[in-house]
Amino acid sequence: MRVDGLLERLSSVGVAAQASVPGVYAWGVTVAPGAWARGAPTLARAGAVAALVALAVGVFGERRWANRTRAASLWGFVAACAVSWWAAPAGLGPLRMDASRGIAGVLGWALFAFVSAAPAVKTGESEDRGPEAPALGPFRRSTRADAAYVAGGALLAGVLQSVGWRIAGVERSLLGRFVALAAGLAVIGTSTQIALERHAPRSFPSNARRLRRALVALLSLAILAFAGLLWGVAD
Amino acid sequence: MKLVDVLAVALVVGAVGAFVAGEAAMTRAEDLRAVYWLAVGVVSLRAAVQVVRPGARP
Repeated sequence: MRVDGLLERLSSVGVAAQASVPGVYAWGVTVAPGAWARGAPTLARAGAVAALVALAVGVFGERRWANRTRAASLWGFVAACAVSWWAAPAGLGPLRMDASRGIAGVLGWALFAFVSAAPAVKTGESEDRGPEAPALGPFRRSTRADAAYVAGGALLAGVLQSVGWRIAGVERSLLGRFVALAAGLAVIGTSTQIALERHAPRSFPSNARRLRRALVALLSLAILAFAGLLWGVAD
Repeated sequence: MKLVDVLAVALVVGAVGAFVAGEAAMTRAEDLRAVYWLAVGVVSLRAAVQVVRPGARP
């Protein structure tokens, strides 16, 4: 099969299908070895299989249910992997997970997070955006600033993966990796969303109006900061 | 780059700092602090998205 033909077919499917490739890789490096290790419980294997099923559901369901399937597939895959790790925590221990495999796993998960958060790659100039979608002019094309936003998000997510490798205890170590992974996914998703929102049609509201719209979140943040301050003083 | 964009980037960077603090607290087995910092990170990310979200479509 020609390489460009393969790329054309890959680009005709959605984000979930493109993310399934690094997802399967990350699954093969970090989940499967522990789930099918000697003495691993059935729940670990069930979680591993469920993770693959979640990926497959995302690939085949994305065309019909679009974004809802993508989100369910993404978080279903992560949750099923977490169940498998939880059921067989020794699979992530130093006896089965050496440094090279750990780095390969981190890269696999980072790539999966990046592909899941980014829009689907399209080839060719003609894209079907729907009848009511406005034509994209040159000023709405992806810019270097967009790439900087996404790269910055990936870099910050990478920083998160560097913390928590010396947690004592397998269960706590597992929880730490899961939290780091979920936080990395959220950071990449948010930075990508910020980059995309800059291109959305808007009525250019003032800064004050935008800040008012974000008032609930900003107030929640202020309350948390105040509570943390009181907590620090009390300690 | 507008002021709100700078604020959004600062909120994302702050969220990552909160997540790192949460993971560090988790490393020291200080679960309550970990939950607090993770909550700060989540709310910061939410605020970042809300700040940059555009207004009514023309």
